[in-house]
Formats: sequence, C-alpha cells, structure tokens
Amino acid sequence: MTEAAQHKRPNYMGIWVGLAALTLVELGVAFLPWSKQVIILLLVGLAVWKALMVALYFMHLRFEGNRMRIFAIAPLPLTVIIVIAVLTEYVW
Amino acid sequence: MATAAVPLDEATHAGSHEISFIRKYIFSTDHKIIGIQFMLMSLIFLLVGGILAAMIRWQLGFPNTSMPGGGILPETMAPGGILLPEFYNSLVTMHGTIMVFFAIMPLLVGVYGNYLIPLKLGAPDMAFPRLNMASFWVAVPAGILMMAGFFVEGGHAAAGWTVYAPLSADPEWTGVSTGQQLWLLSLAVLGLSSILGATNYITTVVNMRAPGMTWFRMPLSIWALFVTSILVLLAIPILSGAAIMLFFDQTIGTHFFDALDGGQPLLWQHLFWYFGHPEVYILILPAMGFVSDIIANASRKPIFGYHSMVYAIIAIGFLGWVVWGHHMFQSGMNPTLGTTFMISTLFIAVPSAIKTFNWMGTMWRGNIRFHVPMLHATAFVAMFVIGGLSGVFMASNTFDIYIHDTYFIVAHIHYVLFGGSLFAIFGAITFWYPKMFGRMMNPFWGKVHFVLTFIFFNLAFFPMHSLGVAGHMRRIYDPTQYEFLQPLQPVNTFISISVFLLVLSQLPFALNFILSWFNGAKAPDNPWDDNGLEWSVPSPPPHGNFKETPTVYRGAYEFSSPLVEEDFLPQNKKLDSDPEPAQAAGH
Amino acid sequence: MAHAAVMQPPPKREVGADVYNEKLGMWVFLGSEVMFFTALIGSYIILRFGNPDAWTAPGAILNIPITAVNTFLLICSSMTMVKAFAAAQDGDQQRLKLYLVATVLIGATFVGVQAYEYTQLVHHGFVPSGYLVGGELAERAAAGELPASVGIYGSTFYTMTGFHGFHVTMGVLCMIFVTWKAFRGKYTATDHRGVEVIGLYWHFVDLVWIILFTIVYLI
Repeated sequence: MTEAAQHKRPNYMGIWVGLAALTLVELGVAFLPWSKQVIILLLVGLAVWKALMVALYFMHLRFEGNRMRIFAIAPLPLTVIIVIAVLTEYVW
Repeated sequence: MATAAVPLDEATHAGSHEISFIRKYIFSTDHKIIGIQFMLMSLIFLLVGGILAAMIRWQLGFPNTSMPGGGILPETMAPGGILLPEFYNSLVTMHGTIMVFFAIMPLLVGVYGNYLIPLKLGAPDMAFPRLNMASFWVAVPAGILMMAGFFVEGGHAAAGWTVYAPLSADPEWTGVSTGQQLWLLSLAVLGLSSILGATNYITTVVNMRAPGMTWFRMPLSIWALFVTSILVLLAIPILSGAAIMLFFDQTIGTHFFDALDGGQPLLWQHLFWYFGHPEVYILILPAMGFVSDIIANASRKPIFGYHSMVYAIIAIGFLGWVVWGHHMFQSGMNPTLGTTFMISTLFIAVPSAIKTFNWMGTMWRGNIRFHVPMLHATAFVAMFVIGGLSGVFMASNTFDIYIHDTYFIVAHIHYVLFGGSLFAIFGAITFWYPKMFGRMMNPFWGKVHFVLTFIFFNLAFFPMHSLGVAGHMRRIYDPTQYEFLQPLQPVNTFISISVFLLVLSQLPFALNFILSWFNGAKAPDNPWDDNGLEWSVPSPPPHGNFKETPTVYRGAYEFSSPLVEEDFLPQNKKLDSDPEPAQAAGH
Repeated sequence: MAHAAVMQPPPKREVGADVYNEKLGMWVFLGSEVMFFTALIGSYIILRFGNPDAWTAPGAILNIPITAVNTFLLICSSMTMVKAFAAAQDGDQQRLKLYLVATVLIGATFVGVQAYEYTQLVHHGFVPSGYLVGGELAERAAAGELPASVGIYGSTFYTMTGFHGFHVTMGVLCMIFVTWKAFRGKYTATDHRGVEVIGLYWHFVDLVWIILFTIVYLI
C-alpha cells in the first residue's frame, strides 16, 4: 500500500495537459492533405504516445518493479501475433 | 515448524465460527467447497456428454433404426426413435461443446485449480474467496443456458462445436437460430467465469505461497495449473469477443463473418483457433501435472528432471499460441502461413517428448505401487503417446490434405482428450478423493473400472484411425449412404458396441464415487505417503486449511530419501540440516 | 486513522509480485481485457485491410467534434481519478471525495454523450448492419457521395465503441461503490487499495479509448 508513495509523485496536471494537447495535434493531423499512409503512421504514433503516457504515469507503471511491468506487458506479443498472422492473408 | 509459526489473518479465524448451511455449502467462499461444487457440476455434464455420444454412436452403428429408449424423445428430435439428421447435427455439436467446456475443462481447472492451489501452496484460501464463489455461480447459469438450447424451437446449435461461420452465422443453413444464440451467450458467460477463476489462481500462485515454497519447489501440478491459468486468462477473452461478434451477426445484423457485405468467414476460424489451440493445452497441461505427481508418488522416486518438466510446461504453454493454423490447413488460408504453422507445430513434439521420457525415467527401476491412481496415470502416458504420435502425423501439411475432417481426427482428439485428460482426471479423482471427502474409494471396484474403461476405450477409438484412413468423414449422419463406406459398416457397429460398453463401464466408478462418500473407509491424513502440504492437514481439511502457516524446506518429490527412515519426506518436515527459508513479510 | 488498527498483520509469505493481491489481481484481469479488445480491434484492423472501400473519410459519417469533446472528457476523468488517488495517499478525505465524485460525473457524461452520438447516427441512417434502408445516408450513398455498402463499417464501429461504452458504464458503477465507501471514510493514507485498483481499471479504459478514437474516428 505504500509502494507508490516511495517515489516522487509525477506532475499529473502536466500529463493531463500533454494528453489534451496531443489530442488536438491528432485532430489537426487527421485532416492534413498528405498521403494517407503518412497520416496513418503519424496518428498511430501519436496514439501510442498518449497510451504510453497513461500507462506509465496514470497507471504508475513507470514506478513499479520489473515483475509488475512484465505482468503488464506480457499479453502484448500475443496481440501482435494474431493480427500480423491474419493480415498475411491480404498482404502476400 | 514451531519457529515458523505465524498467526493466520483474521479472515481465516472468522470463517471457523459457525456459519449457516447456505453460506457453508451453497454460497461458500471456501475454495474446497467450491472445488467440490465444480466437481459435482462437471461430473453431471460428463454424464450428459457421454449419453449424447452414445446416441451419436447408435445412429452410426445402426443407421436409421429405432434407438432403444428413443421413443421418449419428441417428434422434432427422433420420430419413432429414429434420430433426425438435424437432431444428429445438434448431438455432434453438443457432445463436443459439453465435453470440452462443461466437463473436462471445469474438471481439470475448476475442480483441481480450486482445490489444490491453496492447499499445495500452504495458503488458507484463494486470494479472492468471494470472486471464487462468483466464478462458480456464474458458471451455473452458463450451464443452464447451454442445456436450455435443447428445448427451444429449431433445436440446439448444429454447426459443430467449432461453430464455423458462415454455417453458424445464418439460420438459413442449419435451421437453428435461438439454439445457436443461446450457445454463444452461454459461452460468453462461461468465459467470464473462467476469467474470474484464472485471475484468482494466478494471483494466488504468485502472492500466496507459504514461506519456503519457492517457484522451483512448487509441485508440478501447481506449475501446470499456473501456466494453464495464464492460457485461460488470455485465450478465453478471444473466444468471448468472437462469440459476441457472431452473436451480433445473428441478432442485430452485423456482417463480421458475412462475405457478402465485407466480412470474413475465415476470420472466425482464425479467432476461434487462436483461442482453440491454447484451449487444447488448457485441457492437457493440468492432466500432465496431476500425472507427474501421481507417478512420482507411486514410483517412490523423485520426479525425473523436475526443472526440464517445468520448462517443458512453459514451452508448451507458449508454443500453444503460435500453432493455431494447423487446424485450418484446408481452409484456404495463405499457404505460407500453413508451412509456418506446420514447423511450429512440429516443435511441440519436443517438450511433449521431454515430459513423456521424464515420466518413464521416473518409473524406471522404481518400486512401483500400482494403486488405482497410478493405473490411470500409466494409462495416461500410454494413451497420450498414441494421441501425440497421430498428432505429429497431422501436423504435416501434406498428410493433412488426406486425413482432414475424417475419423482419423476423431481418433486423435479422443486419444488425447479421453485417453489423456480423462484418464488423468480419473487418476486425480481417485488420488485426491480421500482428501476431498475424508473417505477412501474402494480399490477393487476402482481397478474394475480402470480395466474395463481401458479395454473399451481402445476398442472404441483405435479402429477410428483405420476408418479415417479409409476416408470416413466425421460428422456424417448416415455412412451407409456412400458406397465406398458400406464395407466399413461392421467396423462402425463394432465401435458403437464398444462405446456402449465404455459408457456402462463408468457405472462402477459412479457407484464407487457416491457410495464411498457415505460408506467408504475413513481416510487417514496421508493415505498415499505423499510429500505435498495438502497431506499434512486432516482429511478433509478444516476451513482455513492450516492451523499455522507451514514452512517449506524442499520440493514435493523427495521420495526414498536416505535422510529419513520412511520412504517419503514431506515438504514441511524440518530436518536438522535444513536452513530456515529467507521469509518475506507481507505488506 | 481509526481503521488502520483493524488491519490484520499479514501472514508471512514467499515474495511474489511484490504488490498486494488486489493490485496484482487487477493487472492480471487487465491482461484478459487486453485480449478481449484484441479480438475486437484486431478484427477491425483485419477486416479493414480486407475491404478498405467500406470506410469513409474521417468525419463523413461519424461526428468528430462531439467525440473529440468526449475524448477530452475521458482524459479529464483520468486526471481526476489520479488526483483522487493522490488525495487518498495524502489522507486528504475532502479532496478524495471531491475528485471521486468528479470522476463519476465525468464518466457518466461520457456515456451520455456516447448515447447521444448513437441516436444521432441512427437518426441519419447509420446502424450496425450498415445504411438504414430509406435513411438519409442511404440516399447519399445512392447518389454516389458515400461508399455503396458500409455494412462492415457499421458492424465494427458499433461493436468496438459499444463494448468500450459498456466498460465505461461498468467502471462508473464500480466507481459509485468506491465513492460511497470513501464517503464512509473507508480509505486512509495507509490503506486505499480500492481507490488504486479502480483507478487502474479506469485508466485502462481511458487508454483503450485513446486507441479507439484514433483508429475508428481519425483514420
């Protein structure tokens, strides 16, 4: 119950402002007259950035031990495996 | 022992005070009661699934003749006792569904995950006892929903237990709408129960181990249940998601699996088997764990290659995620994927062989006690090898062209699921029955049950290999309608008679199970001279399990140790040479 | 704190994940949630690759301004949630209650806005099976302004956002329970497990929405 208290508390308001600002950037990027591929890459990058901010600071993954981090990211390879494998139905 | 004694937390003591009958036996939060509840529920479903199988075999062995007792079925199922083709499809579907989801899976994970994990780890109960209760009481409505399908208009789901879209997605093809929807809802609900259970098991294994119970002192049954729980946790949600999409396709007109409007029928197969292959290991890993415990106990030797056993369990658990395509070689999926899946599938033979050789190494030159659990465990090893070898055949892309969707597949799945999992379940039930109910099962009738089951199991399922190689399709209603299958009809009849006898052979087991509960000889604390922590407490263990938290000094397989006079050395017995474990205080 | 005295001395154990059971359990449960959303979002990605013509340019059918506001609301609720957790750590009961109530209200507003969004979409003729026959969007599709068929677009859109909304609703219900306990003073500076655990769930649901908003509305 005290693990989280041992570290310096992150600047929650700063994270919040950052998330809101990134959302605005996303809204701008989505309507740029660039090629679709570039926009998709940028948008996915921004979304991952936002998701990481939530996971690392709001969910305190940044301050957990390595064991907890492993628990948290363990399912992610499996999500990639299924999507990539089934996508090969279309890409090749 | 005394030095390690620590007071149990309040919750445990509170539980030992008098509680009402309903709180104690119906809505109980005690993991042992919940395990027994799961056991009764899944044994009933095992019986139901067995009856469905017997009906299937009647139609195959004696096509289009009146089934004895079939007269009680309504006109929509079997007019004049002759099974209708539509009803036959439902039977095939529901036999698979009930056996996989409501019999074998709860028997392995629901019963023994609940019963053994806290006892074998030295914990007073699960990490979340109330969640544990919820997990059972969510499974019950799922079972009721599943059975309700038989009574609705249009009959029960009839698209096979794999419910391939588009066959399952539109009532136009199977004539079933409500039954299929109930099927999907039931599995979504059951999925919630499994996820709650798995969350509990994982948390308990990680956080609730007694001092000294390090990762590599855990019994192999717990390792297997732990890896299985991870598979359940991550695989079942895929099925839930897919089932919900299929449910929406049926009810609110979405088009996920409808090729006409942008959907992908093959996506169902990918999602189903992405869940389905880990599910296969959910159904075999715990069985392997129980068998490891029983074989070491009966051979009076330490398990051969404990660490390699653990790594093999982990390897099988991981490989289970990257082989699902071998169920789909003939589905028209990308051929590059097919080769990839063939290679990854062949890899599974490696950890499986490691385990098999380790079991044999354990038995090698052991002073074997052939008690009833051991008989079932040896049968497990033998049957698993047969099922595993046909599995290696089928992993080959090219061979699969020939035998896919034939009785060769049916033979394979029954060799691993019945010959494998169910024999291990019989072994586990007879092994832990004294601990669960405080009574011994009758060993003579246990042996009769084993011998009959073993003989009739092989007589029933081995000939299916040759049927399959001869081209007998699975799931067909009437084999005699094909000229090339007519010469094989005597084999079908032979198999059917063997199956009837196999079902009858379960009678001694059922009677033994029920009668021993009331009349069996009183069980001592440690009837099998085993080392596990569960044998250090009374049979059946009291609420809260341990008077004081045990301290663990060694692994679970120290049999015939030269350090002590008896041929077993319990995990919590302190010898003078044992250092105190570095204990960790909680938080 | 009065309640700290009631806490039992925990029994000694092997070192596990080094966090208390409820927190570990929630992370484990979130693992299964990741896989559940993988089934939905992964299917969406696969289906969209297979049939890209069924999707329109961003904003052609879906209402981006209103969902952008909704996204902002959910980010705000995550912020109030984490502030509530910080207040619980400090033992600041007033701010804990304030921020929890704010989180409940913002979360409920999110669900309400989503319900409004759905009714507007259905009103325009966008339903889970695609265009509503005779609806405004069906007419525009007939005129060639929109794809001829958006069946799979509607299917994935409603299923993904609907299940996200369902998760938010569940979160709000649990949050009401936690708030009620907070008002009864159950959370102290030493023991505020409920606040932290519900917070993990809440941030996870927020995280899923961040992904959904990008891939469903903006791409």
